[in-house]
Amino acid sequence: MGGLALGSIFVGCDPLSSQQKNKKNKKIAFSERDLNPLATLAPPFAPRAKSVIYLHMAGSPSQLEMFDYKPELQKLDGQACPQSLLEGKKFAFIRGTPKLLGPQAKFTQAGESGNWVSNFMPHFKSVVDEVSFLKAVHTDQFNHGPAQLFMHTGGPRLGRPSLGSWVTYGLGSENQNLPGFVVLTSGGKNPSAGKSVWGSGFLPSVYQGVQCRSKGDPVLYLEDPDGISRNLKKSTIEAINKINKEEYAKYADPEILARINQYEMAYRMQIAVPEVMNINNEPENIRQMYGVEPGKESFANNCLLARKLVEQGVRFVQLFDWGWDSHGTGHDTAVDLGLRNKCREIDRPITALLLDLKQRGLLEDTLIVWGGEFGRTPMQENREGKTMSFKGRDHHGDAFTMWMAGGGIKKGTSHGETDDIGFSGIAGQVSVHDVHATILHVLGFDHEQFTFEFQGRPFRLTDVEGEVIKEILA
Amino acid sequence: MDVIKQLVGRLHPLIVHLPIGFIILGLLLQWFDRKTKSHTKIIGLIYLWGGISAVVACVTGYMQYLGEGYSFDTIKFHLWMGITTAVFSFLMFIRLTEPPKIEFLKKIPVPAFALTMFLLISVTGHLGGAITHGEGYLVEPLPNSVKLVLGIETFSKKTILLEEETWKNAMIYQDVIDPVLNNNCVSCHNPKKLKGELQLNSEEGILKGGENGEIVSAHNASQSELYVRMTLPKDDEDHMPPKDKTQPTKEEIALIGAWLDVGHPFDKTIGELNMEKKLFQSFFPVSHNEDYPDIEIAKAMPQSIDSIKKTGVHVENISQATHFLRVSCVNKPSFADTDFKSLHPISKQIAILDLGGTQVTDSIFSELGGLPNLTVLKLDHTSVTGKNINALKNLAYLKSINLSFTDFNDTSLEQLSNFQALNSIYLSDTEVSRTAILTNQKTEPIEIDYGDYTLPTIAADTIVY
Repeated sequence: MGGLALGSIFVGCDPLSSQQKNKKNKKIAFSERDLNPLATLAPPFAPRAKSVIYLHMAGSPSQLEMFDYKPELQKLDGQACPQSLLEGKKFAFIRGTPKLLGPQAKFTQAGESGNWVSNFMPHFKSVVDEVSFLKAVHTDQFNHGPAQLFMHTGGPRLGRPSLGSWVTYGLGSENQNLPGFVVLTSGGKNPSAGKSVWGSGFLPSVYQGVQCRSKGDPVLYLEDPDGISRNLKKSTIEAINKINKEEYAKYADPEILARINQYEMAYRMQIAVPEVMNINNEPENIRQMYGVEPGKESFANNCLLARKLVEQGVRFVQLFDWGWDSHGTGHDTAVDLGLRNKCREIDRPITALLLDLKQRGLLEDTLIVWGGEFGRTPMQENREGKTMSFKGRDHHGDAFTMWMAGGGIKKGTSHGETDDIGFSGIAGQVSVHDVHATILHVLGFDHEQFTFEFQGRPFRLTDVEGEVIKEILA
Repeated sequence: MDVIKQLVGRLHPLIVHLPIGFIILGLLLQWFDRKTKSHTKIIGLIYLWGGISAVVACVTGYMQYLGEGYSFDTIKFHLWMGITTAVFSFLMFIRLTEPPKIEFLKKIPVPAFALTMFLLISVTGHLGGAITHGEGYLVEPLPNSVKLVLGIETFSKKTILLEEETWKNAMIYQDVIDPVLNNNCVSCHNPKKLKGELQLNSEEGILKGGENGEIVSAHNASQSELYVRMTLPKDDEDHMPPKDKTQPTKEEIALIGAWLDVGHPFDKTIGELNMEKKLFQSFFPVSHNEDYPDIEIAKAMPQSIDSIKKTGVHVENISQATHFLRVSCVNKPSFADTDFKSLHPISKQIAILDLGGTQVTDSIFSELGGLPNLTVLKLDHTSVTGKNINALKNLAYLKSINLSFTDFNDTSLEQLSNFQALNSIYLSDTEVSRTAILTNQKTEPIEIDYGDYTLPTIAADTIVY
């Protein structure tokens, strides 16, 4: 459709013609990209996956209650944390000498791979053979905002493009009627770092994430206002585009072409988005599998939407679920109570998502990434040096768990190891940059060659670091 | 004072171009004036200026040597040649003065003088350039074949060639360790550069060690300087290779470590040392496991692709490394059997074809049989029943068919047996019974994903804590 629409703009109305008369027919060459910034580009190497679904548990889930099984920590429960571990470390809330807190979940080995999963994630055990765990990821940030920025933009400060923007910039997106980079949030709040975690930074703004809502209008201000018919909208856009085309004939600035394209995209999105964002037209068995709650903002709905979007050729779907910051300041943030509820909210949907993608043959084309912005301490939080009435854990960046699954990822494996209490990585440590390098690799990029020229130097998502984690590649 | 010295010294690279200019100008004018000899006086004057500016260049050069901390050995030839150039400029001036001031100079022919001047200016200039940019800067871009002819030492990358069948017979040092050291270390640690008085290009060099003593410790990587330096944090001053140089991969470092741990043998095979296969895994050739055939194919005509795209069908290169194409109808759900003819111009290049959710029917199969390189086929969410799917039987590369959410049935499924290369089928939400066991012509099992997954309702689904 997009190709058609663009074609029709230029048939009989070549914007260059008037200008060319004065310039001896000097042709200005435009790539498809100039006319349509989301036109697909081939990656340098054969991709193992063509789309990404990134599941971010904002606030950071406790690896010690979900995937990183530490029986030794159970034995040390209640004992004072050895001073040697605390020296030179900074924590967000822990002060003085905290006590170690044993795992609040029961672990069993699951699947043929025998990877450990806790009883907080019972359904997930059935798909554990699809995923590759990274048990010793580390970050150098211990506050939510900077850590989320680091995890999504490769740097803890504002201004860099997000992973999804890089990918959409590098590959474009296949579906002409939908954005290439869609963001879905749940849990009642946006991530602490704000919308910059799906911002485009110094990349052209057309590559930023488009936030869609699973409740109410999927995209705000997309619906025609009262009294404005679709036809009127159409002629409005046509008038604006006509002016833009005249402007383009004058200045030949390709940004104007991009703008023309954006108006057309928005117009097409008015039909396509509500259609793809409607989970009610899915069969009952599918809705049940995900455990969707129509009309509500829920992680389950977002998982189902993610599948629908990827099925429709959307390049990057970013999910954020708020509510994982288990400090133990109350019932909701206790690692044995609130965390368990949060796990229930994602357990079925994530399992369903993996199974649903698999049965559609989409799992082999889609990379799934799961994680938070950091992990949590093996020590119980002691805010203001006091013993707290609920069991909670503080922010901890030295070692935490993430997992990946799908296209290009080894099935049923686990890479990296933490020490007996899960405080530090002791083998297979990987950095946030390594995770990014791996994601780009799976999509067909060499992260060291994939750059954008800005402020006089080429920028990379992985800055000057990052190594592909070959151990989890299929 | 130091400031003046440094400042004046740094003007050296600028000022050297004055004597160069004057002398070259003098030489050119001498050539121009070779017959009439009518401008001798002015040419002599040019050499006088050349000599004066050469003196200034020598002085600033000396300042730069003092101010910038070069070793005398590095600059000595350049300095002496510079001084000689200045002296010869003055001599040339005197030689050209009429009447001659110094009689014996008369005996030397002017062309011999000119040739000397030319050689002096070239060699001095080159030596200066080598100090600024480093030895071999000028010839570095030459291709290796030319370098060999000129007798310039070449650095060539060595590759580790290991095969699945024969990896155990490879020599650990010659075939594995030497290439790693060669590619990452030897450009500095060779007999010529000898950084840290260390040579890593030979057994003797490795065993001898460098200025800080031995670099290998028997059976212990963690006490071997060679390994320890590579594993230090990149910001550490002692980290090797220096952080602005190409770094070895972690697999390469692991290999060095493992080799040191087994006692850094030079003449054993991997098999003899009983080393683990996973150390070498990443050096095995990668087997072609892509969604397109492992053959070369001509590029599709850009005009053909453009005209297909105009119909709304999505066409893209699978990667920049291949001409094979992926075609999808995600933007054109109205695609029907009759639209297929538009794809004929690219029928050889199509490797991945996604017709999911389109209007195609069973009559599409005879058309699909004409796509010789089809590797992945998606027909999900269409009304095909699989009748005529036999037309795809002899496609040599077809490895995956997605028929989920169609009316595909058991009779059709039987036809899929004995397909040439097929190894995966998706059949979620179809009519088939789940009994078929299929193999392809290579008698490999065909994996069937029957889908229709469900998740049981369990107590934990509803317990709220």
